[in-house]
Amino acid sequence: MIAGSWAVCYTILMKANDKKTMTLNLTAQEMAVLEELTSAKGLSKTGVMRLALRMLQTVDSKVRMGCKVMVDDEHTHEKRELVFL
Amino acid sequence: MTRSTVYLRRSVTGKLVHASLWDTVTDGHLKLWSTTWRPAMAAHCAGRSPLQDKPEDSHWDWQAKIDHWRPLLAYHSFAIVCARELQGLMLAQDIMSARLPGQAGKAMVYVEYLATAPWNRSEISGTPRYQGVGTVLMASAIQLSLDLGYKGRIALHALSAAEGFYRDRCGMIDMGPDSNYHDLRYFEMTEVQAAVFRQERGTK
Repeated sequence: MIAGSWAVCYTILMKANDKKTMTLNLTAQEMAVLEELTSAKGLSKTGVMRLALRMLQTVDSKVRMGCKVMVDDEHTHEKRELVFL
Repeated sequence: MTRSTVYLRRSVTGKLVHASLWDTVTDGHLKLWSTTWRPAMAAHCAGRSPLQDKPEDSHWDWQAKIDHWRPLLAYHSFAIVCARELQGLMLAQDIMSARLPGQAGKAMVYVEYLATAPWNRSEISGTPRYQGVGTVLMASAIQLSLDLGYKGRIALHALSAAEGFYRDRCGMIDMGPDSNYHDLRYFEMTEVQAAVFRQERGTK
């Protein structure tokens, strides 16, 4: 038991770093899009690729369950389905 | 999975005690939820009207939530255990984009669900057993954001009873009711606010 102030010092650790390395070859156009996304998302290129992987897995799992992915225009409130084959 | 040492305040003594923060909700945590937390919540809700007296999260089925999201890389679950009792749970995801001008479109961590155990709530147990569970879980969400390169940006939709906690205690920006999400108020935390939150609470 610890007595002390409410502002306590604690260290929060996250999952062990078990990353593996791979080389990714992109076209100039793909690299341009990647660089544009690094700026928009405030991430490194690696960060954007990892985000893309997580998003794709999330969407793919929904589609596999039979869900539809909808896009809602917040200005017109028009809803459109994004079709994933 | 990783276990970190964190601190909660024992209400009766006012002293800080060690607790364990887990960065994955395990089957053991869910067993604690189903055998202690859930019955305590059910006992509190028995005979109460649905809309007025029950805690807004009383229907949350953590087993179903965790089971549903566990396979997905984008989802992260957290549990706090103290004295072999479950004290809090959180589920967050990392694929949403910020809305606040100045950080709109940037990646952030979104807290889907955050709850403290029934025995830690004054409206249920009178005197909470432990204080600080919500604060530690919010610190965890910020740490996750930092680990992902999101610089501490986080967001959530708050249940009405918790709005004050997020606005006043956590220093998040209240962006008002979200008509696309049950009219719950939407809160966002910037990189600067996250740094202030961590500094004030001594997070390393």
